[in-house]
Amino acid sequence: MAYVAIKGGAQAIEGSKLVYDYLRSRQAEDSQPLDTSTIENQLRLLHSRVISEGGVYHPQLASLAIKQAQGDTLEAAFALRAYRSTMPRLAETEALDSSRMRITRRISSAFKDIPGGQMLGATTDYHLRLMRMELLNESPEAFMAISRSWFEGCDVGQIPDTFPKVLDGLRQQGLLAETPAQPQQDQPFDITREPLIFPVPRSAALATMTRSEQGSLLALAYSNMRGYGDVHPTVAELRVGFVPVMLPHPISGKPMEIGEVEITECEVVAMYESDEQGGKPSFTLGYGACFGHNEVKAISMAILDRSLQKGMQGTPSNPSEDPEFVLLHIDGIDSMGFCTHYKMPHYVTFQSDMDRLRATQNKHAAEDQNS
Amino acid sequence: MTREEWVSALTALPEKRLTELVKGFPADWKVQPTTLPQVGLGMMKMKESAFNESFYLGEFPLASCTVTVTTDSGECAAGGALVMDDRMERAEQLAVCDAVMTGRLPGWQKVEALLQEGSARREQISRERKAMLARTKVDFSLLEDVGGEDA
Repeated sequence: MAYVAIKGGAQAIEGSKLVYDYLRSRQAEDSQPLDTSTIENQLRLLHSRVISEGGVYHPQLASLAIKQAQGDTLEAAFALRAYRSTMPRLAETEALDSSRMRITRRISSAFKDIPGGQMLGATTDYHLRLMRMELLNESPEAFMAISRSWFEGCDVGQIPDTFPKVLDGLRQQGLLAETPAQPQQDQPFDITREPLIFPVPRSAALATMTRSEQGSLLALAYSNMRGYGDVHPTVAELRVGFVPVMLPHPISGKPMEIGEVEITECEVVAMYESDEQGGKPSFTLGYGACFGHNEVKAISMAILDRSLQKGMQGTPSNPSEDPEFVLLHIDGIDSMGFCTHYKMPHYVTFQSDMDRLRATQNKHAAEDQNS
Repeated sequence: MTREEWVSALTALPEKRLTELVKGFPADWKVQPTTLPQVGLGMMKMKESAFNESFYLGEFPLASCTVTVTTDSGECAAGGALVMDDRMERAEQLAVCDAVMTGRLPGWQKVEALLQEGSARREQISRERKAMLARTKVDFSLLEDVGGEDA
């Protein structure tokens, strides 16, 4: 072990906690503490990121984690993971699909006309990235007026409850391989209970990516986009919405809705391939999904899903196709832990390093004198 | 509304509404758990749409409770609930309402009224989401199809 146990410093450590807390309260005497509902609504994309990386869909605790971590996404996700580690597992849902998703946004970059239509929903995609100076001094009245006037003159009669999948249309046209009637694996890999020992099934890769750190996932997907890979994705469909979570009623046994979970889901169509069994060539696919509204994450995951499928079938030809390289380097809690451990006392090992260096320098000086 | 939709309706309302309703039932009713009430996590399994393979998306809080409710006049009914929450009392309140509705125990009309209110709130949430779609439905046109002008 490279670090050592230390003793003492309790007073300083306690003081450090107080300083940490002091810094969030120094704004002004008349400032108010953040409430969790404000964090969930007004910082909703930060909230989504933490809920996704924490791996537990608990909106209130995700807000609390952001508050106590003072906005540090890695620390906040860590707190959520710590919470989950204290709770027993009571149940597992049947495999839910997103066909019943209560959609709030749905787009395709493959087709301009998709069944049910494209709806932009809430997005910054078409915003000018200019500062909105008016928000600097936003009055409570102006703030509340936004939601008050939002539904005026809005006809929702034509909007269906659910929408068909764009991929189904491509399948009907014979451009995608048929999905197997029986999935390859009935029981998915549970990364919360089993270590990743390679090779791992695709379900392990999907579960690892869905709770991975967004920046890490993006960086590896970006390497593929820039040329260290050849996925060349087209977003067949990106949807954001709420999936009802169903479990059997404890008495009737019939499926009941116990709540709903916001999800972002992305399907990318990638380069076509010949069928190894002699069938006709068809497009390949990548899939990404995660808790909350996280579009960059879902797209990155879909790209890496496709690149990892390729790597699992043969020899990886670049980092983003290598399951071990990708899956062992994208977890925020793991990587943060390793990084921050370097702040822990390494006094003994560093003393040893210095001793070795001095010995080497002495030896070097002696050799110089002799020569 | 089916029994399996009751939890969804009741949890759509502010929490204090359910708490007040359950507190309003006679104090001498006997509420006994029939299984060990539990608070923990559920695991959400998803079927991805590329190859129809399943994987674990993540966990969610889960509270479960089953009870029998016996009124002061001896009427008895069983109720149960599962809810995405990590508070035992919330599951217990929902289980009591489940029993009251199923057994048509005294006060079931109040539960039904709250269910209707919750259902209306769910409808409102659904309309809000649909409004987001209706206001942002897009009809992109290719420039070459519209004479070089942005439609």
